[in-house]
Amino acid sequence: MKKLLVSYITLGYPNENDYLKFVKNADDLGTDIFELGYPPNFAKYDGPLIRRSYLKVKSMYKNFSELILRTRKITRKKIIVLTYLENIQNNLDEFLGTIKSSGADGVLLPDLLIDFPENYFKYLNKISEKGLDTVIFVSPFVPDKIISDVYKFSSPFLYYGVRPTTGIVTPVNISSLLKRLKNLTDSRVVVGFGLKGLEEIKEALSAGADGIAIGSAYVEAFENNGLSSALDIVKQVRCILDDF
Amino acid sequence: MIDLIPRYWYNIVPDLNRPLPPPLDPEDSDFSRIELLNRIIPKEVLRQQFTAERYVKIPDEVIELYSLAGRPTPLMRAKRLEELLDTPAKIYFKYEGATHSGSHKINTAIPQAYFAREEGVERVVTETGAGQWGTAVALSAALMKIKSTIFMVRVSYEQKPGRKTVMKLYGAEVYPSPSEITEYGKNELAKNSTNPGSLGIAMSEAIEYVIKNDYRYLIGSVLEVVLLHQSIIGLETIKQFELIGEEPEVLIGCVGGGSNFAGFAYPFIGSKIGSRYIAVSSSEIKKFSKGVYEYDFPDSAGLLPMLKMITLGKDYVPPPIYSGGLRYHGLAPTLSLMIKDKFIEWMEFSEKETYSAAKLFANAQGIIPAPESAHAISAAIKIAKEAKEKNEKKIIAFNLSGHGLLDLSYYQKMEAK
Repeated sequence: MKKLLVSYITLGYPNENDYLKFVKNADDLGTDIFELGYPPNFAKYDGPLIRRSYLKVKSMYKNFSELILRTRKITRKKIIVLTYLENIQNNLDEFLGTIKSSGADGVLLPDLLIDFPENYFKYLNKISEKGLDTVIFVSPFVPDKIISDVYKFSSPFLYYGVRPTTGIVTPVNISSLLKRLKNLTDSRVVVGFGLKGLEEIKEALSAGADGIAIGSAYVEAFENNGLSSALDIVKQVRCILDDF
Repeated sequence: MIDLIPRYWYNIVPDLNRPLPPPLDPEDSDFSRIELLNRIIPKEVLRQQFTAERYVKIPDEVIELYSLAGRPTPLMRAKRLEELLDTPAKIYFKYEGATHSGSHKINTAIPQAYFAREEGVERVVTETGAGQWGTAVALSAALMKIKSTIFMVRVSYEQKPGRKTVMKLYGAEVYPSPSEITEYGKNELAKNSTNPGSLGIAMSEAIEYVIKNDYRYLIGSVLEVVLLHQSIIGLETIKQFELIGEEPEVLIGCVGGGSNFAGFAYPFIGSKIGSRYIAVSSSEIKKFSKGVYEYDFPDSAGLLPMLKMITLGKDYVPPPIYSGGLRYHGLAPTLSLMIKDKFIEWMEFSEKETYSAAKLFANAQGIIPAPESAHAISAAIKIAKEAKEKNEKKIIAFNLSGHGLLDLSYYQKMEAK
């Protein structure tokens, strides 16, 4: 089966023009699914790069749903909106309704299992009632029992963050982490959160990853060298994925 | 005997009832503390900190050194204590004081020093409260033929000259904390020249010293990797109980950062042995009765990532009780989570109560316990008395985490009261 390239970008980053060009080109270059970062008050499980990108866009835009709508107009790929449940729990119905009507296909809430352990099923139901998918985020900090209970509700894939935060490299054994996860689920597993360099991507694929999520690397490329450099990463990663 | 030493450590994270909140960089941070860990902690230790593997292989050389350092430690029955209490309960204890460093601390000091040496580190640095951890690090560094520096909480440095002597004998450099060696220490002394120190302050000094000189820091408790290494205690105890054909129902340990309790009790939890697990602290510290479950820094300087834990606040300076190992504001995240979920119970005992328990135990069993470990004895006695009232033949097991032969100033002081 074709390996998935999931491209994360913060909504509207670094400016509307480059953002839309990035989405359009990343789509053409082989992104399968877009993950769009909807700025929360505090992106607690994200690293400094993503946090900086949120700060930047918060000062630039008022209406992020409008940006989702514009994204929808230029790509037919699936759009998953990433945000923190902490920020939207009080107006969840409204939020889900708005992003749905803007063209989003699903949501990814990195704090769902960690901070709402007693009632995540309630939230999964609500999201599904609105006709949206949930991509469930699991990590080495999520116990086996929880993974076994929830993976079936994750669609179109299960997101596995191998490091404690995005874009920060700490020593991990990607193969052994993935081996453990693959024993617990038959979902398609996309690996992300701090993958560093092409070698680690190959390691994750060799260990059974069904796809790779890239995010901080794009933001870093935008910060340093701009759009073309971010798109180079899309090309490189697609190439590796197609070789498997 | 070496066959009794397990070949794998046990990690409880995959067996928890809910996800463990990950370490966190604070919101207003201009750098990543999680990234900074790479410059503080040996690489393999950091890898083990973030593993999801249930069992982690122990390197052969570490097993040999465990054996050299006195493992396996004995599991003993406190039969005379049972008789003195006239209880139908059976009381067992795992005697970690039988290691050469005199406490359980050697169980993680050896692998951490081993992994540091493997990556070419020339000096390891740490803090110590009561002195057990510093002693274990000094000995482990000596075994690895690398150097060590220990920041010792000032109140313990002054009260426990014997510990200092032992650490120096093993070749360590020892400084009282707050010290003039680091900026953090200097600032603390400028604020209060008679600051008795705390584990949080000493930890901050050690970490600053490591970052400045590119040494590596060995961590004595709180982080999951330490609890992983300490699981050797419980894994051995399970085998020993199998050999005598018994199964404990109540598992007890004292708690500073949580590693000796977790090391003893977690393997039982993982094997679904036992029905009550009791973590014991000091009623002078009130970690359980007053602590809150929230993200906080494990060190006073805030150089380490925040952990979600039961905490008294990183700036809390505990009263100068003798149980230096319990004078710490935080608690290991997995243990905090299970206490919050009421899966693990807690108790608190005063210095006076624990002194009586220590004396009773010493007279019954001949072992002079560390004042920290006497908190576990107090809880075991309490449960044994309850068993008497209810006429229950309970099997109680506690971890006697260290001996008190270098804590005689404590016994002198308490005797005089």
